[in-house]
Amino acid sequence: MFIKVQSATNLGLDTIGVDIELNISNKGLPGFEIVGLAGKSVGESKERVRTAIANSGMEFPQKRIIVNLAPADFPKEGSFYDLPIAIGILSSILEFKIPEKSLFFGELSLDGTLRHTRGALLLALFAREKGFRNIFVPKQSSNEAAIISGIKVFPLQTLQELVSNLLGKIKIMPAKYEQKRCPGNGFSEFDMAEILGQEQAKRAVEIAASGGHNIFMVGSPGSGKTMLARAVPGILPYLDEKESLEVTKVYSASGNIPPDGSIITICPFRSPHHTISQIGLVGGGSNPSPGEISLAHRGVLFLDEFPEFPRSIMEALRQPIEDGVLTIARSRARVKYPARFMLIASANPCPCGYLYHPKKACVCSEREIKKYKKRISGPILDRIDLHVEVPVVEADAFSEDEKKRPREFSSAVKQRVLLAREIQRERFLNENIFINAEMKNKHIKKYCLISKQARQILNQAIASFNLSARSYFKMIKIARTIADLSKTEIIGANHIAEALQYRSKFYET
Amino acid sequence: MKHNKTLGRVGEDMATEYLQNKGYKIVEQNFQNKWGEIDLVCEKDNRLVFVEVKTRIGEQFGLPEDAINKNKINKLIKNSQAYMVYKANKINNIYMYRIDAVCIVLDEEMNLKRINLYENITM
Repeated sequence: MFIKVQSATNLGLDTIGVDIELNISNKGLPGFEIVGLAGKSVGESKERVRTAIANSGMEFPQKRIIVNLAPADFPKEGSFYDLPIAIGILSSILEFKIPEKSLFFGELSLDGTLRHTRGALLLALFAREKGFRNIFVPKQSSNEAAIISGIKVFPLQTLQELVSNLLGKIKIMPAKYEQKRCPGNGFSEFDMAEILGQEQAKRAVEIAASGGHNIFMVGSPGSGKTMLARAVPGILPYLDEKESLEVTKVYSASGNIPPDGSIITICPFRSPHHTISQIGLVGGGSNPSPGEISLAHRGVLFLDEFPEFPRSIMEALRQPIEDGVLTIARSRARVKYPARFMLIASANPCPCGYLYHPKKACVCSEREIKKYKKRISGPILDRIDLHVEVPVVEADAFSEDEKKRPREFSSAVKQRVLLAREIQRERFLNENIFINAEMKNKHIKKYCLISKQARQILNQAIASFNLSARSYFKMIKIARTIADLSKTEIIGANHIAEALQYRSKFYET
Repeated sequence: MKHNKTLGRVGEDMATEYLQNKGYKIVEQNFQNKWGEIDLVCEKDNRLVFVEVKTRIGEQFGLPEDAINKNKINKLIKNSQAYMVYKANKINNIYMYRIDAVCIVLDEEMNLKRINLYENITM
């Protein structure tokens, strides 16, 4: 008896259809064999399927069962083949028909219930693209898949339930999408209003958020760099539908969507510790999985204590910062992950942290400071648009009067950011970019009109600060964002002057 | 040890009767050579059939089917080939062979609980 069940596997963010072919024969010794380059987790599926069927109150057939995963020439990994294999076997003994144009996907628990399985969203996208009508997924994974319209997503709690449904005894209703708050990448921990002083740094962060620029903060310990960075998600706009799907795809493929989770609408905020490995940051492994930079796609990647990161890891960031995508090539697979993130890096000005401190004396020797600064890669600094110093909070900021002074809340800052983003969105409607930070030189020529006075200042600055060509365009990009924040079409002298303050001063001692 | 031998004997007798009812002609029982033993050698539809009989009392200590593993099957193939070499002059009119298995489960009183025939287990 020959049975075919359809499923699909995710390779990075691409989905490949997999046919599960079963041959159940009366001849030969009873046995259960899986072929088709099944990996360890697929091989173990044999035991899960056998036990789950027995524990669902059905009998596992004492026949010779051969399962082939076609196409048989690429390696299969993952636990989601459990459901299609089980349903194929059961259809031979209970004689129900496997519905056409349907995909089955899910990991079985030994008691016959279905467990949350990663990658359901990608499966749903694949199903719609390839003209499938139904997908059967575990209930806990059904919500993320249900966002995709045009296909029916059937949530399953147990194997028994699906069998009863296919036998026509009960009816399972297709899942309806429900937006829930995703824990873990929720709202920002800090509000801008909680941060004392630091008006200039707050302004810089606002500019960075508006234009999606990378930002580098230098300051003494305890001055509020980390708080500022952690407040950024609170002033960034929500993701639009297209961005949400892009981000959720990465999270779904890597199993970062919690059970019953919905799609991600809030900018991701990732802050890996500096002991992270290169593969942890940019992604990799023999079955390449996304790294922190891909998990920070369309969101914020915060690298606290930037000089503590190993040099090789910093250099690995160079190409993704420029391109916004990363191709991970390994012997078994070649996978492309998106990585368009806003980088926030922070550092102390010297090893002891108190260089430029108004009261405390720095105890570092000149050589130590040089060595410390050299740890940060110059090319990376060059790719960071905004450089800002976060000075020590003055003592009078703690006085009662100062505390009572009204400070701006994140929600107010967010309004301005949203307006600036809206201007950018309209500007780049016919381009393939969304934000000022993504502008290439041709876009700058086209969209950045600079007043005569402003150009004069810029030219003077280039001469006196020895700015590189890249820095020159960087300044215009920042000035563009500043102008957008003040809703001006033409970049004026004041915008350029402000932008020039955010140039890199890290190597100037 | 003695118990196992008698159990095997009982099982083989049951299998013989079962197979004869199914139209198998028993050619030889317990063919032994220095590598091992073939429980039953039969003939059916002009084909030589080597049969391995496995008997168990109760199923709580594993199914008889599970006792026929790859090693056992390889041994069976070797033995069947040895048999054909020994008896080459007698079986020259038979040119195909296969290996079957009969699995028997008995209850405590040695009554038959189930008997299953698996054809062509080397498939």
